[in-house]
Amino acid sequence: MSFPEPNRALRNRCAIVGAGNSRLGQVPGVSSLDLLIEASANALDDAGLTPAGIDGVIVRGPDDSYCHHQLVGERLGINAHFSTTLDNGGASQILSVAIATMAIEAGLATTVLCGYGRDAWSRTHKSEEARVKNQTRSDDQHAKEFGPEYGYFGAVAAHAFGAQRHMHEFGTTREQFAEIAVAFRQHAQRNPDAQIRKPLTVEDYFKARQIVSPFGLFDCSLRSDGAGAVIVTSAERARDFKQPPVYVRGFGSFNNLTGWFAAENMVHTAAIKSGEAAYRMAGIGPGDVDTAQLYDCFTYMVLAQLEDYGFCTKGEGGAFVQSGALRMGGRLPTNTSGGQLSEAHVEGMLQIVEGVRQLRHTYPAERQVKDAEIALISGHGGNQVCHSTLILGRVP
Amino acid sequence: MSDDKRSRKPVPRPSPESLPFWEAAKERRLLLPRCNACSRFFFPPSQRCRHCLSPDVNWVASKGTGRVYSFVVYHRPYHPAFEGDVPYVVAIVELDEGVRLLSNILGTPPEDVRCDMRVRVTFEDRDGASIPMFELAP
Repeated sequence: MSFPEPNRALRNRCAIVGAGNSRLGQVPGVSSLDLLIEASANALDDAGLTPAGIDGVIVRGPDDSYCHHQLVGERLGINAHFSTTLDNGGASQILSVAIATMAIEAGLATTVLCGYGRDAWSRTHKSEEARVKNQTRSDDQHAKEFGPEYGYFGAVAAHAFGAQRHMHEFGTTREQFAEIAVAFRQHAQRNPDAQIRKPLTVEDYFKARQIVSPFGLFDCSLRSDGAGAVIVTSAERARDFKQPPVYVRGFGSFNNLTGWFAAENMVHTAAIKSGEAAYRMAGIGPGDVDTAQLYDCFTYMVLAQLEDYGFCTKGEGGAFVQSGALRMGGRLPTNTSGGQLSEAHVEGMLQIVEGVRQLRHTYPAERQVKDAEIALISGHGGNQVCHSTLILGRVP
Repeated sequence: MSDDKRSRKPVPRPSPESLPFWEAAKERRLLLPRCNACSRFFFPPSQRCRHCLSPDVNWVASKGTGRVYSFVVYHRPYHPAFEGDVPYVVAIVELDEGVRLLSNILGTPPEDVRCDMRVRVTFEDRDGASIPMFELAP
């Protein structure tokens, strides 16, 4: 079977003209739906648009919502030529921008709102007991095997398996994971919206309690309420908006549907092929990327993706991060708003928002990646196997 | 009722396809689905071979030996019934037949478990079920 060739004709055909986030962190008394409306209102305001200017809606809902785009449209008071709800976990948010681009190019919509909101701190992940599951049948009608009987629960362990195997094969260390957590916390300290801004040291990292080793507390992303939204339109229309357009230069996706445990998928992740597709559409390589906004559900996933996206070779991720590459002024400033480890865990949506903001060059100097022209953004999710990549450019 | 449920460790609730696996486990036998058409083992169980989609599959005894592909150590219980077990090891075991099973490693302190360590199957009885687990191979 031949590898599908991404359509280069889509390069720079669309742009993001609005980006916004809601309040982030612990935001009690508001539903994830209204957090998404809050982020959408901010994105609309950012673009200088009213809801009437939107004719497409692509969102992801919490796992227990049905046709979430209908609820979003209802609260925004709009109808849409194109609207749908995605179900690829943390890979969905980039897919929403990719699908918006395709829908606009196909003439199905002109200006598309893409967003995601969650109330993980207040509701869906409040406790293991209250955990909202993505299922429509009652719990006792599901087969339950090859997991819970072994005390295997949660996403921490799934990713910790990958970290352990990576440590075994390449000598990767927890000091190297610590550098990722510490670097992102440093970024969050410059972000007034971030959920946690308290300084974090390597010593704090090692003192923290173990959760599912090799992961301790600071290897794990936050439990957050929050939402993000962006507005995608054609490059022609994009010139007329309040903000300078940020161009959708390329995107890709890959899904290791055979499973996270299969083959070498937890060490050589789906980011490899997703990235290759996005680079080809964008006509660039890893050396052209000025800032990365990577899906950091756990520290290890950042390290694995740095290798999989070709910023260093497989097995060299530990040395790469320890060189200070991820910090401001480093070789590849990464998750510059603090990421899901410190800003808020909104399943990759805030990574897109941050990529857009970096390429507008409107941040104060301390938050701005100097001369950033290209941002690479990743999404990872489902049962660890769905991956998507977005490459944004400041100029077409 | 639900309190009682939470105080006991879960027992497997099989799918129609995995039922023979769990029935054999009750007799302390580790069976794996194998394709008669292409002679390969596969997992999880299905009515069709995951390599060639042949419906000609049957259940074959595993040698019960393999290696630890990766493992993690739970330091906090995500379920109250495992409170007394922490820290405990959950591993991905790659059997010599090539398939990978999620399981526990028994009888070895968590700090002594390593990737690629050789293991062999053992069984733990629980509420009428018997659950395949692994211990260090001699």
